[in-house]
Amino acid sequence: MMQPTITTDLCLKCNICTSVCPVASVTDDFLGPKAVGPQAARYQHPLQPQPIPSLTWCSGCGTCSRVCPHGVAVAEINIQAKAHLTKQAKTNLRDHLISRPELLACLAKPINFLANKSMSFGLTRWFLEKSLAISSSAPLPTFARTPLRSQLSSKCVDIPPDPGPDADQVVAFFHGCSSNYYEPEIGKLAVKILEQLGQKVIIPPQKCCGLPLQSNGLFKAATRYAQANISLLAPFARRGIPIVGASTSCTLSIKHDYRTVLGLQSDESHLVASSTFDFFEFLTVQLAHEIDQLDLKPLIADALYHPPCQLRSHGIGIPALTILQRIPGLQLHLSESECCGIAGTYGIKQEKFQVAYEVGKPLFAQAQQLEVDFVLSDSETCRWWISKHTGLPVYHPLEIMAKAMDII
Amino acid sequence: MTEIIVIGAGLTGLFASILAADRGAKVTLVTRGRGGLTLSHGCIDVWERSTPSRALSRLRSNHPYRRAGLGSLQAGLEFLQALGRQANYPFIGSISRNLRLPTALGAIHTTAIAPHSLALGDLRDNTPIVIAGVDGLRDFFPELVAANLRRAGIAIDESFQLPLPMPPTQRDRYSIDLARSFEDPDFRGEVARIWKPRLSGIKRLGIPAVLGFKNSQLVHEEIQERLGVTLFEIPTLPPSLPGLRLESLLHRKAMELGVFVIEGPKVVGRVDGSTTAPRVSGVVLQTVGGPRTLTADIVLLATGGVLHGGLVFQQDGQVRESVLDLPVIYIEGRAQWTVPSPLDAQPYASFGLSVNDHMQPLGADGLPIYSNLYCAGGLIAGADRSEEGSRQGIDIATAYRAIEVALG
Repeated sequence: MMQPTITTDLCLKCNICTSVCPVASVTDDFLGPKAVGPQAARYQHPLQPQPIPSLTWCSGCGTCSRVCPHGVAVAEINIQAKAHLTKQAKTNLRDHLISRPELLACLAKPINFLANKSMSFGLTRWFLEKSLAISSSAPLPTFARTPLRSQLSSKCVDIPPDPGPDADQVVAFFHGCSSNYYEPEIGKLAVKILEQLGQKVIIPPQKCCGLPLQSNGLFKAATRYAQANISLLAPFARRGIPIVGASTSCTLSIKHDYRTVLGLQSDESHLVASSTFDFFEFLTVQLAHEIDQLDLKPLIADALYHPPCQLRSHGIGIPALTILQRIPGLQLHLSESECCGIAGTYGIKQEKFQVAYEVGKPLFAQAQQLEVDFVLSDSETCRWWISKHTGLPVYHPLEIMAKAMDII
Repeated sequence: MTEIIVIGAGLTGLFASILAADRGAKVTLVTRGRGGLTLSHGCIDVWERSTPSRALSRLRSNHPYRRAGLGSLQAGLEFLQALGRQANYPFIGSISRNLRLPTALGAIHTTAIAPHSLALGDLRDNTPIVIAGVDGLRDFFPELVAANLRRAGIAIDESFQLPLPMPPTQRDRYSIDLARSFEDPDFRGEVARIWKPRLSGIKRLGIPAVLGFKNSQLVHEEIQERLGVTLFEIPTLPPSLPGLRLESLLHRKAMELGVFVIEGPKVVGRVDGSTTAPRVSGVVLQTVGGPRTLTADIVLLATGGVLHGGLVFQQDGQVRESVLDLPVIYIEGRAQWTVPSPLDAQPYASFGLSVNDHMQPLGADGLPIYSNLYCAGGLIAGADRSEEGSRQGIDIATAYRAIEVALG
């Protein structure tokens, strides 16, 4: 596995990345992934980085790395450079706060109801915008009354179970922060689907994946989370238990970012990475036979499916399509946009909001033009963002699958 | 249902995937990044040096055209032109007479088939020509185009720069930036208003290819009508719009036909390591998480030649096929690979795989290596596609033949 900056020399400057970059296509404040990344990184000594300020406009969607035909780790080079930029800049309280969903949940816990109520209150949002530069137009999630872990406490384990006769059917569910604190219903459905398909689901100990910190250039804290997760998950991976997550960005971090962006290369990190699966990847690859046998109930509706940029970066295609396309009556349209704009925490920042909105505009227009009944997307922030801007309900594809399986 | 894996998403891979899906196969298209088509001029070169239909029957028997057969070329081109018509992106031309189109350097590009907006610049037509650049676009110099065309005996009335109603930018404008602006009806209305007075008395105007991306035919028609001149486009430096448009057209068609596209991972070998098995049961993908296997009934290699990663030229003087390590036809010794003038035919350009009339790669014994493995496009030995001006024609003909035989 190559260090991202080493791949700089593979760049031919063909500009394919620039021509598809969702951010460069809407603002010229961003010089483009090639210009700020592989081009700027040439002849720089690792100990004397000179990141270009325009980098802050990079949303980290990863499209550039995915489309590069020569294996240049464009997005990874850029996020590493962004970390240098963050180090040089003065501390931004907002970025530290929005990067720590676990901390926010902790703070909100005693005043959960109040916190949720006040978030939908214009004055609070005005205050957040003025004090912290969190856009008052951006969607913010609400905290669930009871976290997923408490709801499914009987499934939570600290160490992997002893290998029994059904050892190959045990699955460790990585719920991530969003399923735990904001949308436990989705986590519960994921577990239910896996169980319906004959799997024994356990919930291993886990921390926030650290991606929000990494995206904001806060590598030191992100690395602490990453190391914690690798140590917590390794015993499960060692037992051959697959780690399955329904939030595409968390699983991408574990598979990829820990090792390449944060540079955590060890036998443990490789083992955990190769044992980790996106929810639909696991279903279509590991449970292909069970999926084939499924009797899916009709669902008469028109839907637009937007596979998140982070899902596309897994390099596994769009596995949910295989299942969704089999649901009778479901008219499925595929998004023509690379990214919806939000890119995790990018779109909620006041100074980025407009650019993020412009990035998503073609997608919102497509949803409106097709007059779909709902939109589908695998990442939570995408769902909140698309729903905010289209006024349409946005579901995780697994919710629709659960419906077709008649388990909700 | 026959399952087929196509490796590579250049013209060959995309076209083969569409053909296969159209014949009812279940297609998985795997590509490391966006294919070479994004860097192409978007035309179909068949045979540059003379009239293709006459020249091709006289080629030596190991030439890819002879292997695939002229019938495959004809049928493939008809299929492609039908795709263009369906997508409202018509292709003009035939193999009975080449078009002669101006390039951004003022050279003459001889090609068989070109998109409508390019074909209007055919230099066999004696209508007087004016060449114009547009403000803010780098690397297009109307005076250079005009001077070089005049040197080749083409009458150019005038050359100048046209303004665009755009504010000054922070960075270079790429063709794709302008094309996105032209998609906006208000913008092109304003452009027509500004340009019109400057164009009185002009019959035919050539400008860099910036007239829209996804709706380019509509953009071109509308602006041409408003200006009251014959307006043609000249491809710019890559990524140029005609290449991007063709890539997008084929990509969309493939998705529409249910082709499962996996973008990102490199294919690193066969599912089972044995090289003696009579069939390839599948391939191994190097995804960001780790290796994943993909099985199918048929595998088609469309990975291209050395420029596109299908062949690897090693320091030690060996040439290898990058996915399955198939035997390559090449000359030993690096010194023999090139001739001094870069403009002459290069020996290395003809390196590649030896195939039979079924597009199956052959071993040293002259027999197919695997009964279910096919290849198409630039990976096939026996043609210097730059020198011949035969690049896209070979892609189309060999892809058509491979799919015809494989799914026969």
